[in-house]
Amino acid sequence: GQMNLGPQPVQQVTPQLQQPATTTHLNQLFPSDLISQPFNVQELDLPPPTINLPANTAATPSPYANCPPKFVRSTLNCIPQTYSTLKKSKLPFALLVQPFTSLQDHQDPVPVVNDQIISRCRRCRGYINPFVTFLDHGHRWRCNLCNLTNDVPQAFDWDAAAQKSVDRWQRAELNYGVVEYVAPQEYMVRPPQPLVYLFLFDASYASVTNGLLGTSARTILESLDRIPNADRRTRVGFMAVDSSLHYFSIPRDGSENNEPSALVVSDLDEPFLPQPTDLLVNLSECRANVETFLGKLQSMFQETPITASAMGSALRAGHKLISPVGGKIAVLSSSLPNVGYGKLEMREDRKILGTSGESKLLQTANSFYKSFAVECSKNQVSIDMFLFSSQYQDVATLSNLPRYTGGQTYFYPGWNAARSEDAIKFAREFSDYLSAEIGLEAVLRVRATTGLRMNAFYGNFFNRSSDLCAFPAFPRDQAYVVEVAIDETITKGTVCLQSAVLHTSCNGERRIRVLTLALPTTETLANVYASADQQAITAYFSHKAVERALGSGLDPARDALQAKLIEIMQTYRKELAGGGSSGLQLPQNLRALPVLFLGLIKNLGLRKSSQIGSDLRAAALCLLSTLPVPLMMQYIYPRFFSLHDMPDAAGVPDPQTAEILLPPTCNLSSERIVPYGLYLIDDGVNQFLWIGKDAVPALLLDVFGVEDRNQIKQGKTSLPILDSDFNERVRAVVEKSKDHLAKGVGSIVVPQLYIIREGGEPSLQLWAQSLLVEDRADQGVSLQQWMGMLREKVVQ
Amino acid sequence: MTDYEGLKEQWSEIEDRDGVRLSWNTFPSSRMEASRLVVPIGALYTPLKEKTDTPLLQYEPVSCKAPCRAVLNPFCQVDMRARLWICPFCLQRNALPPHYKDISQDAIPPELHPNSTTIEYRLARPAPSPPIFLFVVDTCQEEDSLKALKDSIIMSLSLLPPYALVGLITFGTMAQVHELGYTECAKSYVFRGSKDYTSKQVQDMLGLGTLGPRQNMPQQPGRPSLPAGAGARFLLPVSQCEFQLTNALEQLQKDPWPVANDKRALRCTGVALSVAAGLLETQFVNMGGRIMLFSGGPATEGPGMVVGPELREPIRSHHDIDRDNIKYYKKALKFYDNLAKRVAHNGHIVDIFAGCLDQVGLLEMKGLSNSTGGHMILTDSFTSSMYKQSFARVFNKDADDNLLMGFNASLEVLTTKELKVTGLIGHAVSMNKKSASVGETECGIGNTCSWKMCGIDPEASYGIYFEIASQGGGPSNLQPGQNKGMMQFLTYYQHSAGQYHLRVTTVARNLSGPSGDPAIAQSFDQEASAVLMSRIAVFKAEVDDGPDVLRWVDRMLIRLCSRFAEYRKDDPSSFRLEKNFTLYPQFMFHLRRSQFLQVFNNSPDETAFYRHVLNHEDVSNSLIMIQPTLDSYGFDHEGSQPVLLDSTSIQSETILLLDTFFHILIFHGETMAEWRKAGYQDQEGYDSFRTLLEAPKEDAKDLIQDRFPLPRFIVCDAGGSQARFLLSKLNPSTTHTTGSYGGVSQTAQTIFTDDVSLQTFMDHLMKLAVSGTG
Ligand SMILES: [Zn+2]
Ligand SMILES: [Zn+2]
Repeated sequence: GQMNLGPQPVQQVTPQLQQPATTTHLNQLFPSDLISQPFNVQELDLPPPTINLPANTAATPSPYANCPPKFVRSTLNCIPQTYSTLKKSKLPFALLVQPFTSLQDHQDPVPVVNDQIISRCRRCRGYINPFVTFLDHGHRWRCNLCNLTNDVPQAFDWDAAAQKSVDRWQRAELNYGVVEYVAPQEYMVRPPQPLVYLFLFDASYASVTNGLLGTSARTILESLDRIPNADRRTRVGFMAVDSSLHYFSIPRDGSENNEPSALVVSDLDEPFLPQPTDLLVNLSECRANVETFLGKLQSMFQETPITASAMGSALRAGHKLISPVGGKIAVLSSSLPNVGYGKLEMREDRKILGTSGESKLLQTANSFYKSFAVECSKNQVSIDMFLFSSQYQDVATLSNLPRYTGGQTYFYPGWNAARSEDAIKFAREFSDYLSAEIGLEAVLRVRATTGLRMNAFYGNFFNRSSDLCAFPAFPRDQAYVVEVAIDETITKGTVCLQSAVLHTSCNGERRIRVLTLALPTTETLANVYASADQQAITAYFSHKAVERALGSGLDPARDALQAKLIEIMQTYRKELAGGGSSGLQLPQNLRALPVLFLGLIKNLGLRKSSQIGSDLRAAALCLLSTLPVPLMMQYIYPRFFSLHDMPDAAGVPDPQTAEILLPPTCNLSSERIVPYGLYLIDDGVNQFLWIGKDAVPALLLDVFGVEDRNQIKQGKTSLPILDSDFNERVRAVVEKSKDHLAKGVGSIVVPQLYIIREGGEPSLQLWAQSLLVEDRADQGVSLQQWMGMLREKVVQ
Repeated sequence: MTDYEGLKEQWSEIEDRDGVRLSWNTFPSSRMEASRLVVPIGALYTPLKEKTDTPLLQYEPVSCKAPCRAVLNPFCQVDMRARLWICPFCLQRNALPPHYKDISQDAIPPELHPNSTTIEYRLARPAPSPPIFLFVVDTCQEEDSLKALKDSIIMSLSLLPPYALVGLITFGTMAQVHELGYTECAKSYVFRGSKDYTSKQVQDMLGLGTLGPRQNMPQQPGRPSLPAGAGARFLLPVSQCEFQLTNALEQLQKDPWPVANDKRALRCTGVALSVAAGLLETQFVNMGGRIMLFSGGPATEGPGMVVGPELREPIRSHHDIDRDNIKYYKKALKFYDNLAKRVAHNGHIVDIFAGCLDQVGLLEMKGLSNSTGGHMILTDSFTSSMYKQSFARVFNKDADDNLLMGFNASLEVLTTKELKVTGLIGHAVSMNKKSASVGETECGIGNTCSWKMCGIDPEASYGIYFEIASQGGGPSNLQPGQNKGMMQFLTYYQHSAGQYHLRVTTVARNLSGPSGDPAIAQSFDQEASAVLMSRIAVFKAEVDDGPDVLRWVDRMLIRLCSRFAEYRKDDPSSFRLEKNFTLYPQFMFHLRRSQFLQVFNNSPDETAFYRHVLNHEDVSNSLIMIQPTLDSYGFDHEGSQPVLLDSTSIQSETILLLDTFFHILIFHGETMAEWRKAGYQDQEGYDSFRTLLEAPKEDAKDLIQDRFPLPRFIVCDAGGSQARFLLSKLNPSTTHTTGSYGGVSQTAQTIFTDDVSLQTFMDHLMKLAVSGTG
């Protein structure tokens, strides 16, 4: 898609007359019946309900004054003015905040305020924004959050560098709902830290034999130029762990001795640094020797017979190594940490999967992983877990480390570098991971108009105080939920919610990204319902469900989702739809809610099944509590394309935008599948290319280059590149479906393609079918059953 | 009276042949008689004394039945016809083995030859492993001394046999074990410097724990096998890892941890040593090896620390110890003593090379070397030639190019029934072996007839003490033909060539006749006695207070004189000593004044060092230490002239050469010094002065030729500050208490000291000896 937020020139405008904002028409409620008019998947492509602000709410007529939904999305785009209305609505009020929408700034730039003039409210510390009011001939501004009148800074209209006055109305912070300030000295506790990466390799037998150690080292080696290092301050360190901790000392380039050396510490109880220097080195100064080291790493452990992994101790050691500076620890492991500090046990019992006993497998087995993560957060250390075990690895416990440190858990079950698809996928993702511009030493705070209070926060961070979330490193591929409470009756027609992320860019600049969202308010329930954002609501409940699953168990989590949905539908029926109809009623803008909730309940992370290993489940729960909204929607309701009959325009570039056009999506139901068809199901993690059992040889020849479907390799694979128009289009669709930027999100994940021959490998087929949310499968109900049940409960 | 000079010659021949000097060369035949000798019956024995004249026997020795196990020797009665031999120790009859069937009066095996009182066998049993050399290197050092140290170790690799196993541990704030068998990159295992690791922990952390014992491994006869398994990653043959080890040494940097200005470097000597011990404790038990510690300063961290890291906190002195003002001493001593026990038990040696102007904690660590037969070398710096040459001499080789060092030795003493062994003083530990030869009393390390020396070398000498059995009832009780008391020393050791050897020395001496037999007094070897008594005194000094030991030395001397001098009671002027007693009081006088017993002028480390060396040397070297030699050079005589160790020997127109064993000092008398300063030696026509200046230097070179450790070499002038080394050794015959204040002699220098002079000492001695109060 075209970037809509780049620092584009704003039209020359004249200062507005500071008139009171006029009332506007809010979104109308369009009732609908899900029985008579079933849900169509393309409704998911509709934008969220419009935010209808009164004219002249913003100080400038900029079309970018309000924060776009890809950055901040509210479950309600029209806010009830009272707590009682909100309560009555049974709808949640929460923000879905995704401060960064791409892995690198240049891919989706935001306007930057460079002159270090940051005007903030003296009382609430809110940032000046397009929705403030200027008074007193523009000398003062009234805070739209707390109403205090503040002085406009002297230099606000003066360009010190150019020594000339500037037009205030051109200032980015008055024109854009998303801006980034370059912050002066006072925003720093200490000089901006350099970017630090500590790689913690599992070097035990499992990681050596599945090729993880070698692939990781090679990927880093090949990605050294991609690691952000514009200021040449980036530091890297490497540690390996088996039953001992292996530190590596890397000399500066051009030293007397350029060989790296290994320092082994086997004292796992109280890990320590074997030397004070050369363990964490400046990438630019040691580049050649880092390369030498990475080239050797695999062979250093080639012959290892050691199956133990002291990852807990290694983490403590790694923390010790980088905590004076802070930074990222990237853990690459194929083993359960089974010795040393925080050692874990194989606790999974396949017999209890699918029973209520399963839930405790999702809980943390060893309190070390929580307390240590909190300690890391305090010291500005963030941990990302890359997990590769073919056996139980206790993802549930290990994922605590990223959870509280602003990191992420990346899970590659049964990964083996000998399969090129595995090797390529990981190498691409890890390389993109290394290239991401992370923000360091970050905090997120959300301020809002008086009367609103930030009540709860969900996502991977540490909640340092009631309204402050701490991120040692701010990732670019995650979103956060902020639940908002209405404490006082709101008298204004517009409220404002301002999210600010203070962080250190990887170039060593202290920056503040400010996202200002203005929303209209209402006294009526109908307006609230008419502007409710079904995707944001689902995303909010996804976080809630994960919290419930980890806290109380999977059954309570699913039950709560179902109960919530019924409650909303009952409320709507009773309060707004007159209650008479025997249909299942929801407004147009919430019609996807039942199917999204069904998708959530049937998601790998939550669905009732005795076949899902707890590691897979735990990893899915990590995604359900971190994914940005578009990816989250796709994860719970995958995209389903029919390819054999796609329109001519699909799979080729759009003449206007030059972007590949995707075919229309289909509802996730096996009814859509014809035996001669070719389909793509994509949940953002995996892609399944489904070949119907009667697919004609011509189609197969076009797409796969063979006429006999039995010659097509099933499972993890890639599409052949053929000199055929249709092959090219199918490949284009498969590729385009992975395009994160087009979805407005940053992500490193490259979905893995599986080819499925209907009637072929049964487990693969079952797996793909489990994504057909509307079908009945395993212990999950079909959409029809679901609607029937809902109707029964709602209409009773 | 027998000719004393003749006797001395005889003793000297015996010493050359057997490496033995006895305090008494006739043994008293009753316990009563023995108790009156004052100086105990003792032998100063050098088991591996280099012998070139006797052949090395290439077969197994013939031994008496158990439990006696005495080895066939020239004193055995052999019945050639019956092919029987009678063991002189237990009187049992033993059959000669079948291959001795051709024995006859004219064809006797070498071990029965009268000159074979000392004989050595090369046994079939091979050593379990090649010798091991584990270098433990302190990296808290300035670059230059570290460089010198590294160079010396690298140099030593060329002196080792290619099959010798080598390993490297370095330490500073932490201790690092280098995995020399790893070739991908330099790799080492790091141990926290502050933690007391158990042996098991060390092994687990090095990944050695999983290995089973090697005892069952088949041995290749005649060749030491190489150890396999986990330990082989750390200890490899020089030939295999020379490159890796040299690299590791060359890359060695000063300890990288920062040291504040008011702090000492953190140095975890204790942990490094305990890790070294732990490394060898797995697979290498009872395989000869040396842990060679190179210490550049005191341990300041972890177990075994001897001083805190704060610079304002000084390291303990003798005065601190005396006043019990010691924070770390007892704990450290306990730590190192326990470690010493472990290391000795495992058969390994600890050598300590100190290169530091200050103390490194030798006092605390001394047990490591003392118990294991290791070397102690105390030098100011690793850059000094004293260090370099001493270190190189550790690797001296014999004519066959084998290292002059033995490993894993045991010394067993057998006696005929009149004699019982009461103990040993020297670098060894007890093997706690009881036998009929073990006496009731204890002198030194007693209650055993067998001792273990992990390290032994051709100079290593042991004081072994005996008593007369209580049941002995005089010569009348002797078996016919048994008028000799006998002892046999059996020394098993791992020869550096890889085979076990057995050295057998059999000593037989006449037993005295009826009570009062003058033969006993005539057999007194005052030199050997002085050395044997010195060892006892030093042994006592290690546990007792200084003054107590001095009083003991005095008492013993007075009693000896009372017993053996001729005098009229209460008439000191009538006091006379036989020729073979005359020097003994002087030796004791100098011993009392020596650094061995007067510790306050030295640091505790120096004391530990001096005492260590004393307990290693033979009679003549020990005597130099006790009573240094002084030679004078002047125009009036050709070459050197021995002069009295007396302040009167300082003359302005002579040059003196003092040898204290630890120091070699050339002292220029006043005039000599002036001329030298004026540079006459470089001028035409002063050849004789030049020659005179050179002569002591040449002689000094000869003195240090074979000496180990290399002595400190000092050249000084009258009035110079270095001259105090000389003055402190001289008999204060002209101190301010005896000399006149007004007219200082032109020729003799006044020594300002409160010490009594030899003359005063002798006067006292005579008075007390004749009073019969001793
Ligand atoms: Zn305010
Ligand atoms: Zn016998």
